[in-house]
Amino acid sequence: MSDFEKKWSAVLSQAPVLKAYKNYVGTWEKKIGSFLEFDPNRNVGKELPEGPLKGIPFAVKDNIAVKNFKLTCGSKMLEQLVSPYTATAVENLQKAGAVVVGKTNLDEFGMGSSTDNSALGKTNNPWDLERVAGGSSGGSAAAVAAGLVPFALGSDTGGSIRQPASFCGVYGLKPTYGVVSRYGLTAYASSLEVIGVLARNTEITKKVFESMKGQDPMDHTSLDHNPSGKSVKTIGVLKNTHGALSPEVSASYEATIKRLEKAGYKLLEIDLPTLDYVVPAYYTIATAEASANLARYNGIRYGHAPLFAENPTELMKKSRHEGFGDEVKLRILLGTYVLRSGFQDQYYVRAQKIRTAIRQDVERWYSKADVLMMPVFPTPAFRHGSTDMDPFQQKQADLYTCTANLVGHPALSVPSTLENGLPVGVQFMAPPFEEDRLFQVSALLEKEFQAPEAPGYLTDWS
Amino acid sequence: MYQSFIGLEIHIHLTAETKAFCGCNARYGDEENTNICPVCMGFPGVLPTLNEKAIQMSYLVAKALNCKLSPKTRFERKNYFYPDMPKNYQISQFTDPVGRDGHIDIEIGDTIKRVRIHDVHFEEDAGKMIHAGDMSLLDYNRAGYPLLEVVTEPDLVVGEDAEAFLKSFRRMVRYLGVCDGNMEEGSMRCDANVSINLQGAGLGEKVEIKNLNSSRFVRKALNYEIGRQSEMMDAHKVIIQETRLWNENRDQSEPMRRKEAANDYRYFPEPDLPPFMPSAEFLKEVDDSMCELPFARKQRLMSGHGLSSDQAEYIHDEKYRADFFEHCVFAGADAVQVYSWLSSDVKKLLNRTGLTLEKCPLTAERLAKLIALIEEGQISGKIAKTVLDYIFEEDKDPDKICDEKGLVQISDPGAIGKIIDEVMLKNGDVVQAIKDGDLRQMGFLVGQVMQASGGKAAPQVVQSVLKEKVLG
Ligand SMILES: [Zn+2]
Repeated sequence: MSDFEKKWSAVLSQAPVLKAYKNYVGTWEKKIGSFLEFDPNRNVGKELPEGPLKGIPFAVKDNIAVKNFKLTCGSKMLEQLVSPYTATAVENLQKAGAVVVGKTNLDEFGMGSSTDNSALGKTNNPWDLERVAGGSSGGSAAAVAAGLVPFALGSDTGGSIRQPASFCGVYGLKPTYGVVSRYGLTAYASSLEVIGVLARNTEITKKVFESMKGQDPMDHTSLDHNPSGKSVKTIGVLKNTHGALSPEVSASYEATIKRLEKAGYKLLEIDLPTLDYVVPAYYTIATAEASANLARYNGIRYGHAPLFAENPTELMKKSRHEGFGDEVKLRILLGTYVLRSGFQDQYYVRAQKIRTAIRQDVERWYSKADVLMMPVFPTPAFRHGSTDMDPFQQKQADLYTCTANLVGHPALSVPSTLENGLPVGVQFMAPPFEEDRLFQVSALLEKEFQAPEAPGYLTDWS
Repeated sequence: MYQSFIGLEIHIHLTAETKAFCGCNARYGDEENTNICPVCMGFPGVLPTLNEKAIQMSYLVAKALNCKLSPKTRFERKNYFYPDMPKNYQISQFTDPVGRDGHIDIEIGDTIKRVRIHDVHFEEDAGKMIHAGDMSLLDYNRAGYPLLEVVTEPDLVVGEDAEAFLKSFRRMVRYLGVCDGNMEEGSMRCDANVSINLQGAGLGEKVEIKNLNSSRFVRKALNYEIGRQSEMMDAHKVIIQETRLWNENRDQSEPMRRKEAANDYRYFPEPDLPPFMPSAEFLKEVDDSMCELPFARKQRLMSGHGLSSDQAEYIHDEKYRADFFEHCVFAGADAVQVYSWLSSDVKKLLNRTGLTLEKCPLTAERLAKLIALIEEGQISGKIAKTVLDYIFEEDKDPDKICDEKGLVQISDPGAIGKIIDEVMLKNGDVVQAIKDGDLRQMGFLVGQVMQASGGKAAPQVVQSVLKEKVLG
C-alpha cells in the first residue's frame, strides 16, 4: 500500500482522523458542493473484507445504485428515492475493501457538460468557484480534485468522466464498453455508457478498474476482460485542426506531444474525417435510447408524483412536467422524434450506419499505432451560466470524447498542464480491452507532470 | 357475396418457473405484488437477463409450427404507455423473431386446412390493473411473465375456423408442455383481425377485436363482426380501421379506439440484451423436447389402432390420455375396449371424484389388467365396473380386489345349473311360456339367474345351460 493509500485508509479506522477529515470536507463542501449525500459514519467500525482497497473511502455518482443511499440522478423526479440494491461495480469495490462515503452531484440523469443541469445542487470547480466542474460527473471530479476522496465513480456516456476530469485536473477513465457491469447504473443511453473512475493518480485509477471490472450475470452485455498485454511504442496523434481548440488547450496539447517525444515514443500524425459526424450521430442515438430509458419515470411506482391526477395519463404528464428539468425534456423529445415511425431511416438507422463508419475510421489506425491521442474538450472549464458557452456549443464540443463512446473503446483523460491557473487534460484511446496501454502512457506522463492540486487542497489534514 | 379474412394473434404464458428477464416466480394466483423485484419493477439502473428456458420453449413452439427458426433472434423495445407496464416499454421482438413463415394443419369438420403462421415472437407481459370504486390498484405479479405471441396469416374465413384453430393450437401447446392453455385464467389470450371485401378484391379494411377470452367467444365475435361489416357494405358504408372490444354480456363488439389515434411504438433494438444465437446444443435440446403432435397422433390412432375419427378425436385430445391409451394397448388390451372404458366409465368416475387421469389411482396397467380379466372370463363386464370403483376407492390392482372381495366369475356349468334350477322352480309359469314358444321371455330368466348369482355368473355359460335346461 502506498503512502497515499495509507493516509486514506486511516480515515474510517481512526477516530481523530475521521474527525479531521469531516472538518476538512465540511469546509470544502460549502464552497464546491460536490456531494448530494455525505455520510462517512455509516460504515465506521464495520468489518471490511481483506482486499487491495481495504478501508479506502470513495464517492459514487448519484446515478449509480448503492443500497440504502439515495439514487436521485440529480433529478427532482427521484429526489426521495432510496436504492433497494447495489450496483455490481460498487459491490465489487466493496468486496475489495473500499467504503462508500457519499453520493456526488451530476447533471440530471447524466445529461450535460457542466453539472449546472442538476436539479438538486450547485457544484463549483475547486480551481475557480466561478467555473463549472464539468459534467455530467462534475460532483465526482470536484470531490477528487478537492481531496475529499481519493477516487470516485462516474459514468461516461459521451465524455461525462473525461471532460470533468480534464476541467478539474484529475485522471478519468472510461473503460471498454461492457467490461464494467452496467447493472445499477441508471440508464441514460445504454449502448454508449459505462461506469468509470475519477482518481488522484494513475495507480489508483488502475487499481479501481481492476477491482471493479468483470463479467456479471446481471448484465448480459458485460464481457470478460481480455487484454493482449502489449506495450505501447507508437502513439497516433490527432492532427490539431479539427474543431476550434482554445489557445490554452492547443498549448497544452503541444506540451504533451513534446513530453511523449521526449519519453521516446514514436509519434504518428493521424486524422479522423468522421469526427464531423460524431456529435450528430451521438445525439441521435443517445436521445433515442434516453427516450425509452426515461419512460419508466411515470410517478406510479416510485419517485415524484403529483398530489392529484384524474387518470393514469394525467398522472404521468404531471409527474414528468414537475419532475424533469428542461435538458431532460429536450432530449426525450428529440429521441421520440428520431424514433417515430417513418422517420427511423432518416435519423436513427442512419446514425447507426455513421457509428459503423466511425468505428472503421478509428480502427484503421490500430494497425499503425498502439494508442491514439486527442484533446478532451476544446476549452478549459467554462464559467457557470451561458456566458462562455451556450448549451448548443457545449454539445458541439463533445466531438472528441463521444468518439470513444460510439465505438465502445477505452479512453483515459490525463492531466496535462495548468493554463492560466486552470487544469487542462489530454485523452488517450485504445482498442477494446487495452486499458493497460492507457495506464502505461499515463504513468509515464505522470512522472513528468504530477496531477496538480487545487489551491486549498491539503495533503495532510490531521 | 363477400369474402372474409381472419387472422389471429395468440398470446400464451410460457410455463417457465421464472419471469422473462428476472428471477421472480412466474406463478398464477399468488398474493398481489409478492413476485416482484427491482428488475421487473423497472427500478433505475436495473437490466434484464434473458430466461433461456423460456426462449427454448419459444423455439419449440416455432418448430412445432413449422417455422423457419431464427439463427440470431433479437429483442426490441416497443414503446407505449400503460400504467401496469413498469418500464413503459415492452421488451419484444420485431426484426428477428424466434420463428417466421410457418404453418399448421388443422381439422375443421371433415376437412383439413393449412393455416400459415406469420411469426412467433417472445415478449414480456404487463401487470394487472384492478379497479375498486374510485381507486385503481396495481398488481405487478404478472409483469415480466414470459409470453409468446403467435401471429397467423389471414387464412381463416369464418368464426368456426378460428374456434377450431384455437382448439388445435391449445392442444398443441399443452402437448408441448409450454402452456396450460387456460383462457379463463389468462394464460392464453387471443385477439383477432377481420376484414371483408368483394370476392377476389383482396383484404379489406382491418378491424381488430380484443378481449376474446374463450374459443366460443372468438367464434361468436368473428361471426358477429363479419355480419356487421357485411351489413355496412350492403348499405355502402365505409368500414373504418379500428379496434373493437367483444362485450360478452351483450353479444356484440363495441368500438375501443380508432387506429389513427393509436400508438407509434417506435421500435428500436434493445441495447441491454445482445441477440440470442441458439447453439447446436440448445437446438438439440429443442429437438429432444419435441413430441408427436396432436394432428399426427390422431392420424396414427386411426390408422395404427383402428379407431374411428370420433374415437381418435376423444383419445388424442389430451396428451396424457393418448399416452395412457397407447400404454394399455401395448399391455395387450383391445384398442376399442380401452377407448370405451376411457370415454364412459372412467370419464364418469373422474367427473365424480374430481380427479384427473394423471392423478387418479387408475394406471394404464390396471386398466389393461381389468380388460384382460374380462377377456379371460374371470369377471363379467358388470363386475369389472364394480372393480373399477374399488380401484378408485382403494388404490389397488384389479386382481387383488377380485381376490379380496371374492369378485370372481362363476363359469362352472354345474354350479350355474344349481342356480338355474332354483330360478326355474320359482318361475314355473315363465318356463312354461317359453316352452310354449314365447322365446322373448328367455331374457327375463337370464336376468333372474344373474341376480341370484350376485352378478358373478358368466353370462355365456348361463345362456347355454339355461337353453339346455328349458328347451332340452
Ligand atoms: Zn422480478
